[in-house]
Amino acid sequence: MKRPGPKHYLLAPGVLLVSCVFLAPFLLLVVLSFWTQPEGTLLVEPSLTVENYLRIFSDPYYLRGLARTIWLSFATVFFSLLLGFPAAYWIVRRAVRLRRIVMALMLLPMVCGALLPTLGLVNILSPLGIINGSLKQLGLIDRSIPLLGTQTGILIGLIQAFLPLMVLPLVAVMERLPLALEEAAMSLGARPPQVWWRVVMPLAAPGIVAGSVLVFCAALTSFVTPQILGQGKIATFAAMTWQQASLVLDWPFASALAMVMLLIMAALACMVLGFRRLNWVRP
Amino acid sequence: MRRVLLGGVTALVVLFTVAPLIVLVFSSFDDGKFFRFPPREFSMRWFEAAFASVEYRSSLLNSAVVAVVATLISVVLGTAAALGLQRTALRSRAALEMVLLAPLTLPLVIWAIALLQIYSWLGVGGTFWGLALAHATFTLPFSVRVMLATLSAIEPGLELAARSLGARPWRAFARITLPLALPGIATSAALSFFISFNDVIVSTFIAGSSWMTFPVRLYSQLRGQGIDPTTLAIGTMIIASILIVVALTELFNRKASRA
Repeated sequence: MKRPGPKHYLLAPGVLLVSCVFLAPFLLLVVLSFWTQPEGTLLVEPSLTVENYLRIFSDPYYLRGLARTIWLSFATVFFSLLLGFPAAYWIVRRAVRLRRIVMALMLLPMVCGALLPTLGLVNILSPLGIINGSLKQLGLIDRSIPLLGTQTGILIGLIQAFLPLMVLPLVAVMERLPLALEEAAMSLGARPPQVWWRVVMPLAAPGIVAGSVLVFCAALTSFVTPQILGQGKIATFAAMTWQQASLVLDWPFASALAMVMLLIMAALACMVLGFRRLNWVRP
Repeated sequence: MRRVLLGGVTALVVLFTVAPLIVLVFSSFDDGKFFRFPPREFSMRWFEAAFASVEYRSSLLNSAVVAVVATLISVVLGTAAALGLQRTALRSRAALEMVLLAPLTLPLVIWAIALLQIYSWLGVGGTFWGLALAHATFTLPFSVRVMLATLSAIEPGLELAARSLGARPWRAFARITLPLALPGIATSAALSFFISFNDVIVSTFIAGSSWMTFPVRLYSQLRGQGIDPTTLAIGTMIIASILIVVALTELFNRKASRA
């Protein structure tokens, strides 16, 4: 009897589906972003012009939107890391019975999609919501602090939505770090903060980088949460793209806007790979 | 001291992650048309409104039908692909795995913008099959990952033993591997179903008014008019069903691992 041989044909349907429905559109997007749409029509004209890109980079509306989005994404990464790193450490080192539950809860927002948590967030942040309501009850404020429709509100929503994307890779990396390394550092006289800075952080660097890239990309392309929590007053770059694609129906221009986001992410990926090659994360 | 601080931050992270869902459930029982804190009176009126509403029911049905079809495609193709990956020579394996998991790594918003245009050229924009196919595509990587993990935990000797005892390949698979993989299949199905059911990012781009899912409806409503408390009640029921399904698959997994 012979061992079951390779079964390549089993892979065909899945690979075909992803290649045709998922990957091919990305290629098309590159082409489309160089096409144009004559003013006042809904027809697209095949051409090869950088007009769309010039329009993005000469219009302060889009430039400001891009700057705002990048700033929000960096802030999201910063706070997710600040909260996510100690949490991941606790999950790996201290949690025993709670671990499964905590990890399952981290997956819950992903299964719930973007809208259900946003519904709850509106009721937390609104002028009569949980935050303002409790502060008023405690007598700390008389008038509501505006949170909906501000960048702070959007930032809270983004951190809420993408914190698990930071925690999960950090847990995955820290799990593989032997406790003995920390114990050795301690036995050689290192104080706990030193152990964190000199041992845990450098070793967890791949997780930090992976989590940061994931959170940054997710925040950069988010549009549902910012749109609802910003009350339509603050447009992120993805929301602008959505507007062009779904409301204005200028698809070549929307493709160019989408390409800008894609290029930023590609640049980020190259930077990370470059750093890794320079052995930036030397243990 | 440090221990308390670490635990505290973790509690904060967990709270931060689930607080919006807890508040959603909590506020759906509030009597007022506009939620305010502290709440006024406990009431089930929004749940009654949810069951009475015909328009929400039709969009929920649309979501469910798309999710069921997408789940079927995702689980069948995902299981097949995981089996194929497991039995593939190492060199091509990494590349193929990367293709299959691509929808997890590349941003869906950007994909949706491209898909919107392709669909409208092909004339499938806003149709049921266009939507179901898109949903099957972005839920596929979840099935592939879960099934890869499930299959790698199954002792390969078992199927070989069945073969050596004379079972034909298909029979050996159906009688040995498939039953052992059942908990994984249940998990992938549950994941795919709810991710598809709750998707708003891809659907808002490609779903037209002809096949409007509940999240798409909710999103356009939220942008225009603010929160209708009826949708809070529906959201609460969706969360409840997610928790029930998660608990059931967990029970099923435990039972299977004990048997």
